[in-house]
Amino acid sequence: METSFADLPTLQSSVFAALVLFVVTTIAFIWLAVLYVNKKSNGRPDDSELYIDCAYFCEIGKRPSQQDSVFISNLADYRKYGITALVADGMGGMEYGGEISEKIADFVKDMCPMSFFATEQNADELRRFSNKLYDEYKLSGGSTLAMVHITGSFMNYYSVGDSDIILIRNGIPTILNPRQNYMALLIKSLCRNNKQTVTAYSNPKARSLIDFMGNRNPRVIYTKKPIRIFDGDKIIVSSDGLTDAVALRNFHHYLKDSASSTALELKRAVAARKRPKQDNYTGIVFTIKRSFM
Amino acid sequence: MHKGGQEEYRDNVFVNYSSALTLAILYLPNEAEFSVADEASVSALVQGSSKLRFRDLSESIYPILTNLKNYMLIRIDDKHIEIERHGKVYAYIVQNGELKMLPNGMTSLEDEDRVICCTGEFLKCLNEIAILSDAVVSESAEEWMDNLVCRISDKNRLSEGNLTAVTMIVRSGD
Repeated sequence: METSFADLPTLQSSVFAALVLFVVTTIAFIWLAVLYVNKKSNGRPDDSELYIDCAYFCEIGKRPSQQDSVFISNLADYRKYGITALVADGMGGMEYGGEISEKIADFVKDMCPMSFFATEQNADELRRFSNKLYDEYKLSGGSTLAMVHITGSFMNYYSVGDSDIILIRNGIPTILNPRQNYMALLIKSLCRNNKQTVTAYSNPKARSLIDFMGNRNPRVIYTKKPIRIFDGDKIIVSSDGLTDAVALRNFHHYLKDSASSTALELKRAVAARKRPKQDNYTGIVFTIKRSFM
Repeated sequence: MHKGGQEEYRDNVFVNYSSALTLAILYLPNEAEFSVADEASVSALVQGSSKLRFRDLSESIYPILTNLKNYMLIRIDDKHIEIERHGKVYAYIVQNGELKMLPNGMTSLEDEDRVICCTGEFLKCLNEIAILSDAVVSESAEEWMDNLVCRISDKNRLSEGNLTAVTMIVRSGD
């Protein structure tokens, strides 16, 4: 059978129709699959197979030395042990802030892999390590600690001092960990007396830490129950050098799809502020995504 | 309970702690009218509610509070929480790493469950993640409340409406 030139338009339209049919069928299949997954998990996608994208920056700012330290556990072990990430912010103006923050990062590295469910024991270990630091440095230095441990679709966190653990959900950032500073005490006291709290914010000592690593028996704040995380969440663990320079309400300008782009944008945002006394600034960015595999 | 930036504290919390904890939380924005006599009646009902079934308490209290749009009755025993919510008073529970709003009716409780009941004014400056996070790190209900108040203070310096909330942690043996 021969095909003449006269048949070509018919052939082309058949191919076109087949293509359209293929595309429509594929879209319908994907749509039905998504509907099925959502229905099966009560309107919320099954997040048991989340994966993590991670990036960080650790910049010196206008300080003479870097006193922030970072630790991120091996991403290759994520499926087995989860991921642990720490920012320790050495206290500026104290002689051994940087040295202590490095020691904390080394200590946490040695703690890994840590049990996800033994949060109380992990917090105790951190507190005992702080006592060791106290014995060694006698308060001539200190550091904050902000650490997250993510496994599957749950996260635990640990915090001492005023570094930040930020969860961004639906584009809205929330600092998770309570800050252990004098301001919190002032607010508590004013509230107990049924007063407003304006004076707490103007107190020159408001931001002084009441607990830090290197102190004797510091209160290690930790999650007694893990927090659920979802596809699309972003988690940022940072020193206050970041949140002092970029207000939390402006974070949405710098959030990108990937962790590395977000980290880069945040780093550039701090640099662009050109603050003359910019503190060291460090941030570890996680983006949580659902694996289709 | 905090008066915020108002002249006086107008919301109200009535408590009866016996074998079960019974609470009535009243959210009274400025326009709401609530007489001293009604207050005394509600107080007497809640104080004498130990032997009343929750439904009976609810039915007895309803005629007094019928003009109020925003109130909540709560009863908690070792195993359950039962609530009846009207208007802008809310109850949440921390479960499975999430904060979930409690529906009207009975919900079972487990050891270490964390529950918050609060007015719309209290909730205005908070989001669910903040409430959840403060709940899971707190060792006591008081600490949880202190952390939440710090967050509200960061937003408005406690200078707006009355603030009313009750935080609870379920602990067997307590």
